Amino acid sequence: MNQSAPPQLMCRQFEFQKIKMTDTVDMKSQNSDDSDYDESDNMDEDDEDDYCGYYDNDTDDLDIDKPKKSDDPEYFEFDLLHLEDAERLLNEEVEALCSKLKIDPSLAKMLLQVHGWNKESIIERHIIDHGKLLIDSKIKPAVKYKDTCFSNYRTCPVCYLTVQKDQMHSISCGHQFCKECWDSFFQIQIQQGITTGIECMEKDCNILVPEDFICSALSKPDFRDRYSTRSFTDHIEGHPQLRFCPGPNCSVIVRAKENKAKKVECGQCKTIFCFKCGIDYHCPTDCGTIKKWLTKCADDSETANYISANTKDCPKCHVCIEKNGGCNHVQCTKCKHDFCWMCLGDWKAHGSEYYECSRYKENPNIANESAHAQAREALKKYLFYFERWENHSKSLELEEQTLLKITSRIQDKVMNNAGTWIDWQYLLDAAGLLRKCRYSLQYTYPYAYFMEKGARKQLFEYQQAQLEAEVENLSWKVERAEITDRGDLENQMDVAEKRRQTLLKDFLEI
Amino acid sequence: MANIAAARIQREFKEVVKSEEVERCKIKVSLKNDMYNELEGTIAGPPDTPYAGGTFKLEIKIPETYPFNPPKVKFTTRIWHPNISSVTGAICLDILKDQWAAAMTLRTVLLSLQALLAAAEPDDPQDAVVAKQYKDCQEIFIKTARHWTNIYAGGPHRELDLENKITQVMGMGFDEGKARVALSSHNWDIERATENLLS
Repeated sequence: MNQSAPPQLMCRQFEFQKIKMTDTVDMKSQNSDDSDYDESDNMDEDDEDDYCGYYDNDTDDLDIDKPKKSDDPEYFEFDLLHLEDAERLLNEEVEALCSKLKIDPSLAKMLLQVHGWNKESIIERHIIDHGKLLIDSKIKPAVKYKDTCFSNYRTCPVCYLTVQKDQMHSISCGHQFCKECWDSFFQIQIQQGITTGIECMEKDCNILVPEDFICSALSKPDFRDRYSTRSFTDHIEGHPQLRFCPGPNCSVIVRAKENKAKKVECGQCKTIFCFKCGIDYHCPTDCGTIKKWLTKCADDSETANYISANTKDCPKCHVCIEKNGGCNHVQCTKCKHDFCWMCLGDWKAHGSEYYECSRYKENPNIANESAHAQAREALKKYLFYFERWENHSKSLELEEQTLLKITSRIQDKVMNNAGTWIDWQYLLDAAGLLRKCRYSLQYTYPYAYFMEKGARKQLFEYQQAQLEAEVENLSWKVERAEITDRGDLENQMDVAEKRRQTLLKDFLEI
Repeated sequence: MANIAAARIQREFKEVVKSEEVERCKIKVSLKNDMYNELEGTIAGPPDTPYAGGTFKLEIKIPETYPFNPPKVKFTTRIWHPNISSVTGAICLDILKDQWAAAMTLRTVLLSLQALLAAAEPDDPQDAVVAKQYKDCQEIFIKTARHWTNIYAGGPHRELDLENKITQVMGMGFDEGKARVALSSHNWDIERATENLLS
């Protein structure tokens, strides 16, 4: 039980190639999915040792029953690709379409990009009517512009200069422009970040300019490089199965078969994000709701910040208390009064089965009140949820410090021969689990804020309260790990994680 | 790149000046400096619209990347129109944004703006208040637009009842321009307009 799972690098066999997986998070899948994986001999210890994300699934050595893949509401299958792997993958899709439709790669790339890399749909439409497919894809014009001038000279409609006929160039629509104008046009478009969407320069003509035309018109090689980098980005962004890791300066690309709002952790920069929308992972709240919530928080931050200050007075002796740990069960150092940081109520009342503090009580007569009162009530409601959201976010930061303290204490113990590192490993696991539970708990508040009143909200708030209570219990015990019995702590971990799983299972609608 | 922009404007300039449309549709462009990057456009309000008889001036700024990027155009004459801000004169028109094409010219821009005055697109508004009035109370919208054309663009049709209301609100100590905006924005309801001015 004390044995931590060995860190390892896994390789997955794709039908087309072998791609190195640097993902170390989804250890579970390895157990249940043996056929797909073969373990690599290359151990990359560094990858794991300094890892301290909010979501640590590496809890193999805990007493907690490990959920099976079908049971775990957060289970998500994904692969992490390097740039070259992703490039190869895209190229293979392009080649496959080329050989199937007997077209050149430049055209195949355009078709794929326009149709969201849905090869099947392209082939289907190609069989029905190839001409219409090209017109609908903005690749061929419905009617081609015909040059009826017999002179050897033309006036370029962009620079108004008269040049020889052979200096004018056109794409499939037939609109002619001089080479210099095409060149300048492409340079400016690339500077503005437009590549795969570059259209003909003629008024009301939206025919897309193919890659090979652009590259041959560009006179400066560095623009050709910028074009290929930027268009690669476009292709990744346009591909429903691929996402760039949003981590700063991270070039990892995530691939998942399903475009769902599920948790992805980058193996390189450890950023944890939602596959669908690319921002911080936010279950049980959905992508639209979390966006609404974050916008609201940004808009109202002044008021909310003012109100949710960092200090509070002890409700009994009124000494000013600054919160220095993540736990909401606070004990006044002066008068030893135990109280809840959120509601300032006696903690004894919170110990019981029903933790009331997370549920907002709406004024039942609100419909009859004046507009001002309603506005005040709306603000009160928002602040209630915002305070709890913000409080958990601060607690998470503070618990980061608790983790550092635990690590250094373990170090001391091991140095003084009080057990081995492995003996104290459970403390780190507890801290990891606490972070994970608190993180989920934080993201239950935006969900609750936007929920319609009713039985479902009541159930949600009940479960949220339960989780809230267990998380605070766990936090209290982790902060006092030395004086807490190990069995007691592990039991508390089990209870908290079960509550978290229950809530997610009931409310994660994906 | 700057030389393409300046050279193009010089040639276009001749085109607009020469064009017979200048006479027919009453569009005009004049230079503000010899750098060819700031111009003043003028369009006549199209006939059979509330803008008829008015002359509207536009500020045209030519970016260095012109004609690959659109010119920056806004009304300097105040105007009551769903796609033009009644406050800043900013214009919501697709060809001045993503539908711009390098083969377009100042002439096409001015003609498109004239067409916009004749056919507003209230579903893609720049000024939400005006757009709402345009959709909900056409009649009030037409009177308001005609009044604004008369006051700011030299249009021939006076709206005496609207002028009276402005005088009434001014009698309460408000500035004329503010009174006009408040009344126009509140469908010429004096009570709501003054309430708005006081809040």
